Amino acid sequence: MNGKAAFVGLLMLGFLFAKAAARQPEGSGVPPAKSGASVQVFKTEDDFRTEGEKRFRANCGRCHQSPHKFNPRMMLTIERHMRVRALVTDEDMRLIVRYLSQ
Amino acid sequence: MAALSLAIPVLLTAQSTDTERPVPVLTGSLGFFTNGWNGQTQLEPVATPVLLVPLGERWLIESRGEFEGDFQRPAGGGAFGGTVTKEVDYAQVDFIANANVTVTVGRFLTPFGMYNERMYPIWIRDLQPTPLIFPIATGSSDGVMLRGGIPASNKINVNYAVYFSTLSTINKLDSDRLTGARIGFFLPGPRVEIGASFQQHLQEERSRSVGVHFAWQPNRVPLNLRSEYAWSGSQGSGYWIEAAYRLSQAQRWQRVLRHTEVVGRGQQYLAGELTASDAAGYGLPTVNARQADLGLNYYFSDGLKATGSYGRRFSVSGDVDLWTVGIAYRFALPLGRTQ
Repeated sequence: MNGKAAFVGLLMLGFLFAKAAARQPEGSGVPPAKSGASVQVFKTEDDFRTEGEKRFRANCGRCHQSPHKFNPRMMLTIERHMRVRALVTDEDMRLIVRYLSQ
Repeated sequence: MAALSLAIPVLLTAQSTDTERPVPVLTGSLGFFTNGWNGQTQLEPVATPVLLVPLGERWLIESRGEFEGDFQRPAGGGAFGGTVTKEVDYAQVDFIANANVTVTVGRFLTPFGMYNERMYPIWIRDLQPTPLIFPIATGSSDGVMLRGGIPASNKINVNYAVYFSTLSTINKLDSDRLTGARIGFFLPGPRVEIGASFQQHLQEERSRSVGVHFAWQPNRVPLNLRSEYAWSGSQGSGYWIEAAYRLSQAQRWQRVLRHTEVVGRGQQYLAGELTASDAAGYGLPTVNARQADLGLNYYFSDGLKATGSYGRRFSVSGDVDLWTVGIAYRFALPLGRTQ
């Protein structure tokens, strides 16, 4: 009974989040505003690079040594994998990919 | 599975025509280790391939297999012989629903603590022997999971995972019927992470497990401090604390020392209600134990390292010296054109 309730609860939660996702645009290349957080503005390429490197060191360095830069198409796949595996936030991931693709 | 096989062709046709779309990747790690304890020697070749197949804009199929050899000399001498165990660690489909939610279906690594999901790969872990409490509430689960990372403010990121696993007795895909959740808080400024895990078994003894984890990487020194505590109603309890210090700030022998890392770990395990054979089956010590390890890693590059460690385990069944030397390599290959 507990298992069934948990399963139904998870499915309902998933449905609600998926519905919310359908309303949210994806992938502009520029970090979106944080929900519940103040908006950070990066005006120049140097701003992006500095912030990308900072977030790369803070997030990726939590688990492993800094990897070398991969091909951009590989980087996009590894980004998706790491986003799921390491629970890196959407904004952090976009800045890290941008930094590693430069 | 039928639904998945029907969905894949549809998803493939949904792939962007953009030349910058992600390409499937074969990655993973290879390693060879020599382990010793009480005069016995074990040769342990390891291969853990990881396949990543992105589909469309929001989907990812990912899987990791594990092949691990256990070769020892027979009693009385002779050539090394043994077995190779084969496991499917995860085989999952991820749907990135939005910035805060990913839905995962299939076989996934049980999100309890931080070691199982993030520290386990041989090229990542700082000490090759896994912590004594590692088997508590971890392993793989077959079911559904919701997870994500949310920036709560400029100073705190929150991450979470909620999951349900069904009972499976399928060879290589076995799992228990259970449910659980984990929440973590990451402070990017001081680079501190704390988290808590909960798991409830929904079969047999219906045991409960809880855990907390902590990690800190000071900004000023190349130190990595990590710790976990886990308690299970049936599997026992314990903790480990590990510090890894990269000698990159050394003033002398810079060329060598900046690639060198010194690691220390202290840990304790308090046995639970399991019988000795059940505990051994889970990979847990059969009695209360304490252990201290000291290790050294040398990084030839970010994905290739030589590693060695010495440890001593103290328990009522006798103290044991444990040592490991070996090499670990991480590879990543595109499965398609990258231009």
